Amino acid sequence: MPEGSAARCRRCGVLLYQNRSASLVRVTAFSLASLILMGIVNMFPFLTMEANGIKTELSLLRAASELIREGSAAIGWCVAVFTLVAPLAMAGGMLYVCGPLLHGRAAPGARHVARWLSRTEPWNMIEVFLLGVLVSLMKLGKMADLCFGVGFWAFAVLMVCMAAAVAGIDRNELWDRLEVAAE
Amino acid sequence: MSQPSPQLPRAIDQGLANCESCGKITPVVACRCPRCGSTLHLRKPASLQRTVALLVAACALYLPANLLPIMTISELGNVMASTILEGMVEFWHRQAYPIAIVIFVASILIPIVKIVALVWLCAAAAGKVHPSPRILGRIYWFTELLGRWSMVDIFVVSILVALVQFGAYMTITPGPGALAFAGVVVLTMFAAMSFDPRLLWDRLEIMNATETPSPTTDHE
Repeated sequence: MPEGSAARCRRCGVLLYQNRSASLVRVTAFSLASLILMGIVNMFPFLTMEANGIKTELSLLRAASELIREGSAAIGWCVAVFTLVAPLAMAGGMLYVCGPLLHGRAAPGARHVARWLSRTEPWNMIEVFLLGVLVSLMKLGKMADLCFGVGFWAFAVLMVCMAAAVAGIDRNELWDRLEVAAE
Repeated sequence: MSQPSPQLPRAIDQGLANCESCGKITPVVACRCPRCGSTLHLRKPASLQRTVALLVAACALYLPANLLPIMTISELGNVMASTILEGMVEFWHRQAYPIAIVIFVASILIPIVKIVALVWLCAAAAGKVHPSPRILGRIYWFTELLGRWSMVDIFVVSILVALVQFGAYMTITPGPGALAFAGVVVLTMFAAMSFDPRLLWDRLEIMNATETPSPTTDHE
């Protein structure tokens, strides 16, 4: 089947299989971009808020650590997993598996990483976090002066890159190539 | 359901398992997938029991999640607790209708729809209610897709707790409802993952076989 085309059921037209164009290159590129953006998100301020002369700053790390400090450790760890650990594992894992595969090689332990990728996917919730940011902004609205930092914009781009990387994965192709490369 | 489908050979009858991780089809006697090394199962092990157990736990947490405050706001000595529903009503009164609707759908509607849908799927797979394949497929897809968006309220709490730290002037702290709510979301996600939709088709197969025993379709 040529790249970029799809097989459909002759009777009802439902998509059976899609040969996504340049799947591996795309996944590698977008997951590398995601990793770089994650660095930027965590290095630069995300959101700063000023009220009555006091300035507070939000970062992904602080969103989780403040909860742990306030005594809600379980939710704090949940937030940390959903916004930091799972996205990092997804992007890192995709790069680790797909990068070497571009050259026809399988990285050591690539099978295990690829297996865990599909299990990590539902726990990556950066797009939900972004919705949470919007809702919080509406809640705070008139209360204080809010200022978006570089981290926020990087986060918005990160969301798009992660979605593009995950959407680029073609499970059948990935495993076929892994199988060939391992031999 | 209207007409008995011709009995196509099924993978389970031939002892073939579809690997849950990589999708390779292998005889189940191999125990481990030769391609990715996952353990092979014909169907997810104890799928119904696990799903039901997780759902019961989620139901138990659903009430405290909605009745207990998810955060407490202390402003100049006034302490005010806020539940999920109150947060939504407040947006509605401030005429922020889109946000109120988003909160309503994500925090109240989706968890309850997801729990009801999964209970129904389990009942259909166990043969307690008559399943209609097309609707069930849609529901399964829906529960898989939307469940994570319920987490938005937990993120709002985490963001507000981190941002609003102005000492005596105003502070926001997480409440016990947040933990219960996060529990509901995580448990229903695990419940949706442990449910095996193929059980529905197995049940349909049994029903078709018992309802209309047609001799012509038996040998193909």
